[in-house]
Amino acid sequence: MPAPTVRFTDERLANGLRLIVAPDPLAPIVAVDVWYAVGSKNEVPGKTGFAHLFEHVMFQGSAHVGKTEHMALVQAAGGSLNGTTWLDRTNYFETVPSHQLELALWLEADRMATLLDALNQENLDNQRDVVKNEKRSSYDNRPYGLWFHKLQAHLFPPEHPYHHPTIGSMEDLDAASLEDVSAFFRTYYAPNNAVLTIAGDVDPAAARAAVERYFGQIPAAPEIPRPASLSVPASLGGERREVVEDRVPLSRHYFGFRAPVFGDPRLDALEMGVQILAGGKGSRLHKRLVRQEKLAQDVALFALGFVGGASICAGQATVRPGMDGEAVERVFEEELAKLGREPVTDDELERARALIETMELEALQRVDERADRLSMYATLLDDPDMINCQLARYLAVTPEAIREVAADVFRPDNRVVITYLPVPGMTDEAEDEEGAA
Amino acid sequence: MTLEEVLAARPTPGRPRGYTFPSFERSILPSGLQVLTVHVPGRPLISANVVVRRGAADEPAELAGATALAARAMTEGTARYPGVEVVEAAERLGTTINVQAGWDSFTAGVEVTAARLGPALELLDEVLRRPTFPADDVARLREERLNDLMQLRAEPRRRVDWAFVETIYTRQSPYARLLGGKEATVRGLGREELAGVHTALLDPRRAAVVVGGDLTGLDVPQLILDQLGEYAAGSGSGSASPAEVSAPEATAAVDRRVVRLVDRPGSVQSEIRIGHVGLPRRVPDFHAVQVMNSILGGLFNSRLQLNLRETKGYTYGVGSSFDMRRGAGPFSVRTAVQTAVTVPAITEALGELERMRDGQVTPAELASARDYLVGVFPLRFEVPSAVVGAVGGLFAFGLPDDELARYRGCVEAVDVAAVRKAARDHLHTDRLAIVVVGDAAAVAGDLEAAGLGEFELVAEEDV
Repeated sequence: MPAPTVRFTDERLANGLRLIVAPDPLAPIVAVDVWYAVGSKNEVPGKTGFAHLFEHVMFQGSAHVGKTEHMALVQAAGGSLNGTTWLDRTNYFETVPSHQLELALWLEADRMATLLDALNQENLDNQRDVVKNEKRSSYDNRPYGLWFHKLQAHLFPPEHPYHHPTIGSMEDLDAASLEDVSAFFRTYYAPNNAVLTIAGDVDPAAARAAVERYFGQIPAAPEIPRPASLSVPASLGGERREVVEDRVPLSRHYFGFRAPVFGDPRLDALEMGVQILAGGKGSRLHKRLVRQEKLAQDVALFALGFVGGASICAGQATVRPGMDGEAVERVFEEELAKLGREPVTDDELERARALIETMELEALQRVDERADRLSMYATLLDDPDMINCQLARYLAVTPEAIREVAADVFRPDNRVVITYLPVPGMTDEAEDEEGAA
Repeated sequence: MTLEEVLAARPTPGRPRGYTFPSFERSILPSGLQVLTVHVPGRPLISANVVVRRGAADEPAELAGATALAARAMTEGTARYPGVEVVEAAERLGTTINVQAGWDSFTAGVEVTAARLGPALELLDEVLRRPTFPADDVARLREERLNDLMQLRAEPRRRVDWAFVETIYTRQSPYARLLGGKEATVRGLGREELAGVHTALLDPRRAAVVVGGDLTGLDVPQLILDQLGEYAAGSGSGSASPAEVSAPEATAAVDRRVVRLVDRPGSVQSEIRIGHVGLPRRVPDFHAVQVMNSILGGLFNSRLQLNLRETKGYTYGVGSSFDMRRGAGPFSVRTAVQTAVTVPAITEALGELERMRDGQVTPAELASARDYLVGVFPLRFEVPSAVVGAVGGLFAFGLPDDELARYRGCVEAVDVAAVRKAARDHLHTDRLAIVVVGDAAAVAGDLEAAGLGEFELVAEEDV
């Protein structure tokens, strides 16, 4: 099954803006995706949550665009839009009917060039409140909601830029000043720190001319500061454990490991191994913990690729009522260790390959996903052509490569285990339910 | 031109490329099974769904949850592929068999390359017609559902949705239930009950196979005849469809304003739902309702968002929707706000509902909503799975074949008067439920004192 090749051009404007254009006229739509090489790793202590708060500010207007007008214009044009922030980067994107491409380019250019003209205390205060509510909705008010923040804090030492959560802390959000926000913009939101990808129904020459017109005169920033050192040893060097009592009805174990960085072929091998361990109902962990031994309600395992120091491989297993949490943990760890000892079977590898192939084909059908990945590979690996190589890299992974990376990653001294236990009142309820069932 | 001059001039749109929703072809096989094929050229994957016009709303109250549990159990082994072999066989084709029970319909689908369509259809046929429902696995899935109900109580979003439907519908209405069922009925579900539900799903005259993607060189009806055996070729009563499936009872339990607070001690936010029994999918002014709801709570810059998020900062997001089903599904305003502003947030949301119902819509608001719905339509159908899903929806609801082709014209025809009429007819500001899951110790007093409606506090242990 040959994966279609994504054809694209890759160039830089004089001010440093990297422009990637990937034409494909199949559907009458076009995606624009701007990646800025700034994320929560660029934040300093006392100013966490800044990159993400800033993402919200980017929708509050610029010199020629009013507050919330960005959304209004894109939606009235029949488009969709959003922005996301993560440890290594921040991105902004629009998908629009192809005849509205210039609108998306103009909106992105106006805020890259003139955001500070519109920034004021009222908008900042408003979005600070919105972000605090986002933090409550997404983390604080959810059962098990803080598990990933806890994992990050254990996997990376306090001085490491990956130690703190991207959403930040309430105290730091409260302390963010207008001057902080302005300085952040001047430092990082510049053409020479950005990749702009246009994918879909587009005439490359016209698109290039439009980008030159809207972005070409935006001045480059002076040297962009790099974050504090990201390097960490490949292994944690000793198991770390935390027990959390929460208002949850079922106990759950979260597992975390340092893993090879994004772009390292060993991370591809790890992802294939993760698919075999926990990718769906045919996977090893699901078969054993959920189906056969019926110890767990659900299992999961996945890898999150980061460019600096280490990636994170994270997993979870929810303990069925009345079952022994320690047994769940033991079996989970046994299966991970086994992957590092014995090669996977040909059938397991064949199934994992077939599934990953379909997932890649499915994702690359969409212009927004193509734009996202081209910008991602250019920003994080300086290699947008990875979009055409990633599937082949997955398919080339051997049983021995999986065994080797699993042996390196799934070591007890590279492991974090967060155990959520029901607060006492909820345990009683759980036992009643089980008794009556 | 200087940068300032460039940016000061707003771009004007180019010439739009035409778009029409892809047309589909219908064949009716001897069993009465319909085959709907949609050619979406140039795509590497083909999406195939079997859609049955029967769902959780059609199951008897005492078996509530059986259809959803049957959907989960159907991939636990078939006559030809026992146990996990059926999952593994699908994985070798690079796919997962996705079986879903909805309120109105039941769907089993795959997404594969063209070369694998035949074997994938054979697997679909196994899962659909020959599941074995092993007693041990059914018992495990039943326990998983019971455990999931425990989790649901702890999750404020799921908890509030549950409390909301129980408040707005009478107990006789299936929509007052949870789609997956609650403890009282789930505990009684075994392989016999699932087999019963399954048999009722099997009438091919209630079903369609929808196949979309690049179908060049494929004879889809013939493939289905080859792979779906009796289900396709059997002797149904020819092409006659069974009588129209009736709409489930959807009676409002609320005839004034009521406030129900479900205590969740320690919550830092209040999860809020405000609304009432809404509309069925086949409502005559469907398009006017879509435009009206977009203005109220559908667009990013809807009235609710501009007020509660962009002006007040009460919430990360607020929206409204009509969940249109075969019968009248719920209409709800949905948000989560920090505990301290629970009452003001509800007051503002009620104000927006009243303003929508009793006030004016500006031509600019109308244009934004209309242009959005019309313009975004091609984005929604970029890939075959989305097209197949939409065509399956037409079949499930018994809508006309040209419903999607006419959509953009119908939306464009909506005017200010139609939006006002839709708001007046379908928003019931005097008989609605305000349901909150939050920390009663912090909000109960204010909420009751605010006099928003008849107040009831539900203690955690009463749940």
